[in-house]
Amino acid sequence: MSLSRSPSPHPGGGWSSPGLAPGSGTSTPRGYSPNTLSPGGISWATAKAKSDEVRKYPSFSTRNSGFFSRQKHKLSARLPSFRNQAGDTGYVEKDSYRAQWRPSGRGLWGNLGILRRRGRARVVVWLLLLWLGYLLLWSTLVHLYRRSPLGGGKKVVIILGSNTEGGVMEWKGAREWAIERNSIWNKKRYAQEWGYELEVANMLAKKRYSHEWRESWEKVDVIREAMRKYPKAEWFWWLDLNTWIMEYGTSLQHHLLNDLESHVYRDINDYNPLNITHPLPEFYLDELGRSLEGDGKSDSLNLLLTQDCGGFNLGSFLVRRSLWTDRLLDTWWDPVMYEQMHMNWEHKEQNALEYMYQSQPWIRGNMGFLPQRAINAFPPGACGDEINPTIHYQQKDRDLVVNMAGCMFGRDCWAEMYNYRELSNQLNRRWWGSVTSAFGGMYERVFPSDDDD
Amino acid sequence: MQFALPPRKSPHRLPKSSQLPPYRRTQLKTIAVCACLVLSILYLLSYFFSASTASIGAPVGTSGVVIVTLLDREHFSESYIKKIVTNREDYANRHGYTNFFASLSDYDEAVGDSPKSWATVPAVRHAMASYPHAAHFFHLSPHALIMNPSRSLKSLLLDSSRLESLMLKDLPVVPPDSIIKTFSHLKEKDIDLVITQDSDDLNPGSFMLRNGDFARFFLDLWFDPLFRSYNFAKAEAHGLDHIMQWHPTVLARTALVPQRVLSAYSKDSHGASTDGMYHDGDFLIRFPGCDNLQVKECTEMEPYYMIWQKKIKSG
Repeated sequence: MSLSRSPSPHPGGGWSSPGLAPGSGTSTPRGYSPNTLSPGGISWATAKAKSDEVRKYPSFSTRNSGFFSRQKHKLSARLPSFRNQAGDTGYVEKDSYRAQWRPSGRGLWGNLGILRRRGRARVVVWLLLLWLGYLLLWSTLVHLYRRSPLGGGKKVVIILGSNTEGGVMEWKGAREWAIERNSIWNKKRYAQEWGYELEVANMLAKKRYSHEWRESWEKVDVIREAMRKYPKAEWFWWLDLNTWIMEYGTSLQHHLLNDLESHVYRDINDYNPLNITHPLPEFYLDELGRSLEGDGKSDSLNLLLTQDCGGFNLGSFLVRRSLWTDRLLDTWWDPVMYEQMHMNWEHKEQNALEYMYQSQPWIRGNMGFLPQRAINAFPPGACGDEINPTIHYQQKDRDLVVNMAGCMFGRDCWAEMYNYRELSNQLNRRWWGSVTSAFGGMYERVFPSDDDD
Repeated sequence: MQFALPPRKSPHRLPKSSQLPPYRRTQLKTIAVCACLVLSILYLLSYFFSASTASIGAPVGTSGVVIVTLLDREHFSESYIKKIVTNREDYANRHGYTNFFASLSDYDEAVGDSPKSWATVPAVRHAMASYPHAAHFFHLSPHALIMNPSRSLKSLLLDSSRLESLMLKDLPVVPPDSIIKTFSHLKEKDIDLVITQDSDDLNPGSFMLRNGDFARFFLDLWFDPLFRSYNFAKAEAHGLDHIMQWHPTVLARTALVPQRVLSAYSKDSHGASTDGMYHDGDFLIRFPGCDNLQVKECTEMEPYYMIWQKKIKSG
């Protein structure tokens, strides 16, 4: 128990803490100057002399005989000490610089001085170790599981389109950079939470695309690249930069993928802002081509997207690796179609997809529509000012994603993103608080959270 | 500790089971060797069997070939239609194929203002809807005669080794010098569409399409309104050239075969590829000169029809 029993391996470390050394507080000028200013200037001879001085030090056992003085010592030994306050030895080795800031390891024992019988102390220490192990390792284990084939985290790739039109078209200001940084951080955190892959795509305006007039179709190329890069992944979730994932605790598998049928509507008549004729009436089509709901199997759902008040919305959508997807990605842009339609397709690839959905029957059976708020809730201000509970974010239902669609037209993207970031933090902090309270509210009592209003 | 079986017994049993009499050991060996042999023979048999019988990967649960012929009943004379139908039915009866005769006017609404020849595409789609369990659809222009009816489509084309040997790899898709070439690594099992080219274009007057998702995708894409409204000089033929060159997912499922296999041109017609002219014994003859005319009948066909009639009477 006493310090003399285990001399610190670092001379000048814990046990020679300055506060306890005789003559502490009286710092000799010799003490600091060589150490703080030029540690490299210490000669071997002086160092040896100092260390001899330290070794000559009388045993502590004579000093810490009383209970109170010992406790006082333990407490002060755990306080971080600054080397400037070096004791009369005046010398601190270079290596021990850091050690001096740490509480001495033995201080813990001292603090538990009340449990002086080793047996009880041991139990408590083991419990503490278990608790620490749980805190430190549990998340690692969960993470390992989620990254494993069993957990299926690697089956999902999140693709975030960043740096839209960057480089050539516009200069980015502080707000644009803040959006960029925050949005990437948000997706990173979510991907890490569930072991998904994250691909941040640089949508830098490329000469290649402007030359071929197919800007904004490059997301097709980005998805294809991601499919090559992650050959084992199954689902690819495209997210625009102006989106915010609100719920880190909701996995995509649980939210959607495990039970596609119950979330998806295939019959576009359920919500049909574009008034698309469905099913197709053409007599020469087979049953599949004229079917209301495709083949009805969840395996055939290869593209999941939402519709907003204006039609298809590609700010947040999922594609599954499949032959069908290859074909769609391959034919999405076609020079002959583009040449005729580029003046009409204001929303470019989004309009092109709407067009293909209407004109090419093979596409319909493999597309599923999600209720908008499932992966693409809008903030107020997008799609009309009044709140529409099918379109706009609902806090009480804890929608997964907010897409600040169209915020660059007369709204403030950064302000919206900031607000949703804060809201998400607040919602998720409460959740964390409730978990900790389940463990006895210890966390709350030790660190009362002042922002939990 | 209590055990379910008394542990004392096992030492007595073990020597019995491990020390087989020598004659039983040899017996076991021979049995094992025989089993191995039989299994490997079965495996080899099944391998060769499946390799020799597989046509170009017909989807499960489908069989047979549907021959799709698009007839312009408004313009063709009755006798001409009768000739074409007789020729196709004779062939289908010999090999157990099915004929699907479509009427051009049925697709007027679908084709709209575009050239009537676009009707080929919905006609094949229509055949697919009418015969969902057929494995292959063979589109053949009305201005064509099957001259060698004893030749089955399987021996001509669909047999996997036969197709493998016919496939033209690394060849410009659109003659003579398109920079897009057919993939050199394609295997016959990847193939869903078999088509030929003449000296200028891919030749949609005669092609073989395998039933399945690709067929639906390919036909729907080809028939897209924006392709029809683009005023391609050769309508659906140029539309097909375009798709083939711009969309690798289509090209990766397509096999080009020498023209004479599926689409030998008659002597009087222009635009046959090198060695694309009809020779005696070829499977069929096409009369592309009649394709884009709204004719009562294709007079060029008459002498060949006589030859064909003689042939089937003698054979």
